[in-house]
Amino acid sequence: MKALNIAATGMMAQEMNVNIISNNIANMRTTGYKRQRVDFQDLYNQNLRRQGASTSEAGTIVPAGVQVGSGVRVVATPRIMSQGDIEQTDKDTDVAVRGEGYVQVQMPDGRTGYTRDGSFEIDATGTIVTQDGYSVLPAITVPPNSKDLTISQTGTVQVTVGNATTPTVLGQIQLARFVNKAGLEAIGDNLFVETTSSGAALVGNPGDEGFGTMLQGHLEMANVVPVSELSSLIAAQRAYEMNSRIIRAADEMSQAIANLK
Amino acid sequence: MENASLVGLSRQIVLQRKLTVIADNLANMTTAGFKREDLGSEEAFMPKSRTNLFERRDTRDSYVREKATVTDFSQGEIELTGNPFDLVIEGEGFFVVQAPEGERYARGGNFVLDSQGRLVTPDGYPVQGEGGDIVFARNEHDVAVGADGTVSSSAGEKGRLRIVNFANPGQLVKQGKNLFRSQVAPTADPDARVKQGAIERSNVSGIVEINTMIEVTRAYEQISDLIKKQSDLSSKAIERLGSLQA
Repeated sequence: MKALNIAATGMMAQEMNVNIISNNIANMRTTGYKRQRVDFQDLYNQNLRRQGASTSEAGTIVPAGVQVGSGVRVVATPRIMSQGDIEQTDKDTDVAVRGEGYVQVQMPDGRTGYTRDGSFEIDATGTIVTQDGYSVLPAITVPPNSKDLTISQTGTVQVTVGNATTPTVLGQIQLARFVNKAGLEAIGDNLFVETTSSGAALVGNPGDEGFGTMLQGHLEMANVVPVSELSSLIAAQRAYEMNSRIIRAADEMSQAIANLK
Repeated sequence: MENASLVGLSRQIVLQRKLTVIADNLANMTTAGFKREDLGSEEAFMPKSRTNLFERRDTRDSYVREKATVTDFSQGEIELTGNPFDLVIEGEGFFVVQAPEGERYARGGNFVLDSQGRLVTPDGYPVQGEGGDIVFARNEHDVAVGADGTVSSSAGEKGRLRIVNFANPGQLVKQGKNLFRSQVAPTADPDARVKQGAIERSNVSGIVEINTMIEVTRAYEQISDLIKKQSDLSSKAIERLGSLQA
């Protein structure tokens, strides 16, 4: 019976939905995490009685045909790249991006990673790195005898070296933006890489036209809204149950036939 | 007398198909912009099939057959998503999408940008504005869609979304991928209202579908029962008529 297969596609789709929702909830406290959602599509529709077919020689036609769909499929799991809440941390090397743009990170495999997670550290050589030790691009090295690290809104990194009275500019944090940021591929570790769908990065300084600004001593939280995730979870669970009831109904109907003699 | 089984069978076939339609509705309960289907049935008479048990008048046997699936175009719930490329048409109307096989119409407004900056469906089919594809350059930001469908960004106005309507949406044919196809040319809908940052949910109501499903299963069982009784009756008749009276 076709209903069995259709309900199975519905259950599989809802299972995927629950997977994505649970991943969002699991990352509720992940810095710079962007929530995902599932987009569904109806499958091929079978025409059992074609609309527009003629029903008589007098030219009468079928006004509305009989069309039966064949279920659902997951078509995409786009990421919602909206801004997360900004939380104050008071740590010098924490920066949040307000607005558009990703901080560029040098990954060990040579590729450039893009992140919204601005919880940076200074490693043994004085380089500003991510929590995984990947250097922020363009690389900025902090001299050992420096203090009062400041990162301006436009990404300029300054320190006071030794007993100097004027700050020294160490470098400039740049941001990358994409025409289709939802097309970035998440590779874990709070990093994204560019794909053919995202298009090439457009690099600029924070505060430039179209780019966001930096905020030192703050971090961007995940943009997951627990209440809406939970309501989606309930909806997904109910949809799953209803699809399983169809399976039972189809089974009961087959049973009714099997019991005939 | 066997006609009773055949009439029952005709009903069962329709009920099975009705369950298929319900299953498809429920499977698409969370599909953005999905419009539920309803299967209508009608009474059908066969030209020769008659019940001649009575002397006076013949009764024509009536069968059941499926008449048409009707798409319910009522508005689905609107869910706010905060995604700038999620668009909803409030009220009637359809977005126009350029599919490889021609112009198609959509209600599901879960759009994205492709690598060339075009506004596309999740399958990559460009959404049409009044002047063709809607394209954003790499450095544009602050995309806004007005209530009348006007698209603008930091680079200024980008044109208006093409939103169309049909005198009779009943003639639209679903072709999967959340798209509708039409043989009749649509008319522009200047009064359509667009909402940005929201998505139209499927208009399937779980309660309604499950209710119909229960009705369908019960009716199916009753008919199976009827067919069984009919068969019992024949076997009884054969037994009685065939037994020899000593």
